[in-house]
Amino acid sequence: MRMLLRRLSLYVVTAWVAITANFILPRLMPGNPVETLIGQLQGRVSPQQVRAIQLAFGMGLKQNIVQQYFGYLGQLMHGHLGVSITLSAPVSSILRSAVPWTVGLIGVSTILSFLVGTIAGTMLGWTRGSRFDSLIPLTTFFQAVPYFFLGTVMLLIFGSNLHWFPVLGAYSSNLNPGWSWAFVFSLIRYGELPVLTIVLSSVAGWMLGMRNMMITMVAEDFVLMAVAKGLPRRKVIMHAARNAVLPSVANLSLAIGLVVSGALLVELVFNYPGVGNLLLQAVLNEDYPLIQGIFLVITMTVLAANLLADVMYFVLDPRTRTEAAV
Amino acid sequence: MSTSSAPRALRQSASSNDEVSIAPAALESSDLVLEVKDFSVDYGWGERAVRAVRNVDLDVHRSQVLGIAGESGSGKSTLVYAVTRLLRSPAVISGGDARLFLDADKNTGSDVRTVDLMRASERELRSIRWSQISIVLQSALNALNPVLRISAEFDEVLKTHRRDMNRHQRRARAVELLELVGLNEDRLARFPHELSGGQRQRIMIALALALDPQLVIMDEPTTALDVVTQREIISELRDLRARFGFAMVFITHDLALLVEIADEIAVMYAGTIVERAPAASLHDAPRHPYTLGLLNSSPPLHGKHHELVGIPGSPPDLAQSLVGCSFRARCPFALERCASETPPLVAIEDGGRMVACWLHDGSATNLPEALRREVSLSKRAAPQPRATKEVGS
Repeated sequence: MRMLLRRLSLYVVTAWVAITANFILPRLMPGNPVETLIGQLQGRVSPQQVRAIQLAFGMGLKQNIVQQYFGYLGQLMHGHLGVSITLSAPVSSILRSAVPWTVGLIGVSTILSFLVGTIAGTMLGWTRGSRFDSLIPLTTFFQAVPYFFLGTVMLLIFGSNLHWFPVLGAYSSNLNPGWSWAFVFSLIRYGELPVLTIVLSSVAGWMLGMRNMMITMVAEDFVLMAVAKGLPRRKVIMHAARNAVLPSVANLSLAIGLVVSGALLVELVFNYPGVGNLLLQAVLNEDYPLIQGIFLVITMTVLAANLLADVMYFVLDPRTRTEAAV
Repeated sequence: MSTSSAPRALRQSASSNDEVSIAPAALESSDLVLEVKDFSVDYGWGERAVRAVRNVDLDVHRSQVLGIAGESGSGKSTLVYAVTRLLRSPAVISGGDARLFLDADKNTGSDVRTVDLMRASERELRSIRWSQISIVLQSALNALNPVLRISAEFDEVLKTHRRDMNRHQRRARAVELLELVGLNEDRLARFPHELSGGQRQRIMIALALALDPQLVIMDEPTTALDVVTQREIISELRDLRARFGFAMVFITHDLALLVEIADEIAVMYAGTIVERAPAASLHDAPRHPYTLGLLNSSPPLHGKHHELVGIPGSPPDLAQSLVGCSFRARCPFALERCASETPPLVAIEDGGRMVACWLHDGSATNLPEALRREVSLSKRAAPQPRATKEVGS
């Protein structure tokens, strides 16, 4: 327990450093970012927008840097991330509408890829040298192809030409988002191709990792013991897999951290309304408050995922608890 | 202990506790637990196959402790793992038979039966594994799953083979087993890495006895332990065997240690048994030059220390087909015929012991003094003089 608390305090410090960097970076830019922005808007700027920009950077309030800093922290505490310049809406509400799409798409793909890859890797490791090993070059081929290219090709073949899958967007444009069966069904139909693309391009990593760990584990004495105990084959495999999965679980937590920053290119290819698309728009329009907000969210998810990885490992591998026990 | 062990415990109660006197010679063949005939194991196939075990005959009697000694690569572990069908590819059982003779088992309700280990189905093998043959490996740290609590190890074995037991009974049984090996029940909540080497090995032994098996295989169970713990475990094993009467196959390279626990010892060299004799006879009066070499190269646990002498040379390449005696290149007493004729394992000295060496076929005129030593009569009468001595010391 003590070890976990120590890790937690480390994360608090890291988060604080990230937030501070987020505060300082715009202020290190040459010139006054507020004026740059107003200049870019070329007069098409309302007084409210000017005020919003100034607030976003903590300026125009005649505060010194320390006061600004604490003001910024205070705003963050209340969930205020400023106001987007181009979209004229609070960054937090923009993020709230974009994040679920990305988390849904990339999250589902990541977990699916993890499950498929881990199960396949377990079987491949157990039956090492069998004809199933030919799966490996096939999946590594898909891993080697850039996934946005794979996505484009799939879109072209299965979407535009064969019409097996709907293309572009996250749901049918005839439907209004809501919890209706038609909408959920449409969501799934539209999600199939992007999910398939991501799973195909990432499954090899999980599979190979798991297979290699399984091969190491199968040679372990405790697996021999499991056989000697007369356990059914399924349980023998579980003995090995339970240990082999540990590195994969750690990697999964890290992969979850990247869910929000997500597959920017996949979202572009499939025109998915997620964080990736939003970030691209924000960068193209130099929408600093939005960029800042997105970065903050990404940083925080990565940190949270790291923490999750630590906790998972702590739960799954008793040996990591020794330090606290001794 | 559970009721199931009662018959075996009864059989034991006939002899006094500190001297388990089961003379191997006196045992009937119906008292066999394991019979291995003409058994061969190869690693790999075809021309380049390494013939790790060559035409070995072996039998283990009820409640007997059979020691198998030999240096690394002599095939002692390969033999035992192959017989129990635990070897994995590329090991191939290239010939031979192994049969297990089982008593009636009240736990599973099974009758007296014979299991042909080489022809048994996967299902049949699973049913006798651990319930009839259990195994203790050299490194308990590796043999216990690092992410499972000790209680889970016991639970799993009991759950698989004793469907009739509920959770509380399983727990009670685990506690009872830990007590047998002198461990407190709080160890059940521990993970393997939280225990000492000695504790882990004791847990392995408790686990091996969980289902009252008729045969326990010990593959160098004490090699990874310090000498003091080694001694403790050996004496505990001796007590447990006396109490429950399971047979044991004890594999080790440490001949001196083996003399402490085994009733009979088989010495393996280059995949064959070169000598088999009651433990004390083998120790005091070796007949095979290799046994003599092994004894001279390990310090005795008791008595005067002698100068340790290694065996010069190294074992032959098992990938080659061996003509003649496999030990002749390292043998100080090699004869001319050793190069061309392979000595068979034959009974000598009234059938009490067996040796595969031309020096003992009766024709040798000048048998070396070291291979002529007498075993005192008292020792020959009691196959386990060490056990008696132990109590006094």
